[in-house]
Amino acid sequence: MATTTATITLSSSDLLTDNLSLSATMNLYKGGTTSTGLDELNYHRAIIPTGTNFTLIQESAALNATGSNYVYIINKNTDVTDYVVVSIRSEVIGRLYAGDWMFIPYSDATTATAGVDDPSGNDSDIEIQAYTHECIIEYAMFHDGETLLTASDS
Amino acid sequence: MATTTATITLNSGDIADNSMSISNTATLYTAGTDTGILETTGLSRKKFTDASEFKLLDHGLAGSQMADITADKSAKVYIKNINDRGDGTKYVAVLINSIEIGRLYGGDWMFFPWSGGNDKDVDIDAYDATETTLEYCVFFE
Repeated sequence: MATTTATITLSSSDLLTDNLSLSATMNLYKGGTTSTGLDELNYHRAIIPTGTNFTLIQESAALNATGSNYVYIINKNTDVTDYVVVSIRSEVIGRLYAGDWMFIPYSDATTATAGVDDPSGNDSDIEIQAYTHECIIEYAMFHDGETLLTASDS
Repeated sequence: MATTTATITLNSGDIADNSMSISNTATLYTAGTDTGILETTGLSRKKFTDASEFKLLDHGLAGSQMADITADKSAKVYIKNINDRGDGTKYVAVLINSIEIGRLYGGDWMFFPWSGGNDKDVDIDAYDATETTLEYCVFFE
């Protein structure tokens, strides 16, 4: 198993009358275990053009089975007006403007046929659409197994 | 304006052949500007023993801070399950409009942009009726 930690620090000296300083660290464990670390990782960098809502992370039976995956996404653009909309199962989570990041658990709560997007739209893909300009996205998923696709020529 | 930053650090010495270290800091701006966010709920704490879905952040509550949050504004949400991990089977599911995003096990946290809007409440659905405590904070304009 691997040991992976995620730490967040929220800071401000002038949002409130007193300093805001919050820090939290978590270990990325497999679901249903007390201390077994996730040991699989995907890390991507992609340029998202405007005009289309894309599947960023496709659900799979394996992701669904574990219920303990974590997703990190950052918008690497620098123009503050550029943003992407991040959705799950067609439900908008929110907008990542240039420089913004998010870190969420991802349980992939429903399952469609691996490798084939669910025509009903009733899936748990993580989707992304860029607005204003194309956006450079980096994203990582820490997980406990994906459904591997059999090669079409095997 | 205020300057509020959110920094993430992801570290692992053994998830891959080489060590991994990712660190990024976001400054929390109002939507599409470089003007700092000026409003926050502050850090809040919620204790519950309810195994059914309930609203943690209720956009529909008239006059509330959450009612101000809409898609064309900027809002960021931090939630942490501060329970112990226990046997690793107990979690709270976090949902938007009853669509599950993911599960926070004891000790887990999440940070995400929130579009808000009608029916886009952030809901919690616990695995069981075990007493659970969440801490959460919303930064918004």
